Amino acid sequence: MTGRFAVMLRDAQFWVPVAVLFGGLLVLIWIR
Amino acid sequence: MDPVAPAALDPARLRGLQLAGVASGFTAGAWLGAAEAPTKMVVLGLSPVVISLAMVVGVFLARWSLPALLRGTTAIGADVRQAPHLVVWAVLAGCLWAVANTLTIYAIKDIGLSVAFPLWNANSLLGILWGAVFFNELREAGWSRVVAVLGGAAVMCAGATLLAVASAAQAPAGHAARGVAAALAAGALWGTMYIPYRKAYLTGMNPLAFVTFFTVGELAMMSALALADRGGLAPLVAELSGARDVLFWLLLGGFVWVVGDLFQQYAAKYVGISRGIPLSNTNQLWGLVWGLLVFGELHGGARATYAQVIGGSLLMALGAALIALASATGPEHRRWQEAAAREGQRYGIDPAVVRAGLAGESTGGPARRRTWLDWALVTGATAVFVALGLVARVPDLRLGWAWVAGLTLALLALLGGTGILLWRTTRFN
Repeated sequence: MTGRFAVMLRDAQFWVPVAVLFGGLLVLIWIR
Repeated sequence: MDPVAPAALDPARLRGLQLAGVASGFTAGAWLGAAEAPTKMVVLGLSPVVISLAMVVGVFLARWSLPALLRGTTAIGADVRQAPHLVVWAVLAGCLWAVANTLTIYAIKDIGLSVAFPLWNANSLLGILWGAVFFNELREAGWSRVVAVLGGAAVMCAGATLLAVASAAQAPAGHAARGVAAALAAGALWGTMYIPYRKAYLTGMNPLAFVTFFTVGELAMMSALALADRGGLAPLVAELSGARDVLFWLLLGGFVWVVGDLFQQYAAKYVGISRGIPLSNTNQLWGLVWGLLVFGELHGGARATYAQVIGGSLLMALGAALIALASATGPEHRRWQEAAAREGQRYGIDPAVVRAGLAGESTGGPARRRTWLDWALVTGATAVFVALGLVARVPDLRLGWAWVAGLTLALLALLGGTGILLWRTTRFN
């Protein structure tokens, strides 16, 4: 199980939605 | 050819799966669009973020009502054991949805629906990009199909723009730059949200299991955003308890939304995100139909407004038809299988599970038996809906009840028809 999570963290596709989520949160903080 | 790719799917089977996926996309549009209707019963001045939170609570509870009977906790547990990392992806998708939805509230406030909607509706174009780049969608599809999908999405965006212009009651005076940023960010979040969807389905996770964890992420993120917006737990609880006589309508909106989202998941699974997102974006058309016929919106409007509504609706229907008719053929599906096989290899998932998932088949997991936990969850979730329904206040609104009946019948017909088609084709796999 741990191995799959490690693979996920090395998977470039995982970081795309993570980056977009943080970007969205930053925009939300800015506009409020 | 990729050495790890499995054998090509039988053409008749592929056509059946594509048909089920296209039908799911259209049904998702109808139910997601109808989800707005119950929230229009809420006429008192609740904060938009609190309205969103109440709807998400409805989504979370609804997952544990009727859908829990389709796939209970035993089967979900088996899915998780097969690919536990996908739980993180599903929670991530739920967080993306919640932030995007909150951003749209501020975008509408700052620049109005007519400008904001086309900006975030570009999520379908982003979804097409992710589908092609990450999951081999539209590869070897042939130019006619690529043009049909891209053209269909563009035509739908144009139609959506016309509908949004017609729907916008007034142009609000706000902060233009902030509103545009919020709408673009919402589009980016919603377009990217489908990466986890596709990721999960390429490696065999069941849509009902995915939705379960999606709603957890959605509820957690929306709760955090509502707490931040209201300035703490006490003010939030006070606002929710003060609105208990209208909470039922918001939860009902969440219930209708989750049915739409389930079909959206099956569309993403069987026709991919490049086609699934635009098809479920027909929800705007359905939202407008409910607004026009049931709530009497745009009544007595200018002739130009009606022309925009008719023109926008025709464009959306044309775009959706183009995409529906450009479903994946054998060579393109083969590329999907290659992407799935690579994904399975990367995460060490049984190739039989990966192959069965993409073919809409079961891998012979545990029987669909229901445990006492399933029944307790179904009873508890249903009891909350019933309890709030008993204290619900029906606002003094003039509604077109004949249209309510007609549209509800149309929704049920789509639910039944597509549900039967999905069951016969995939057994809800």
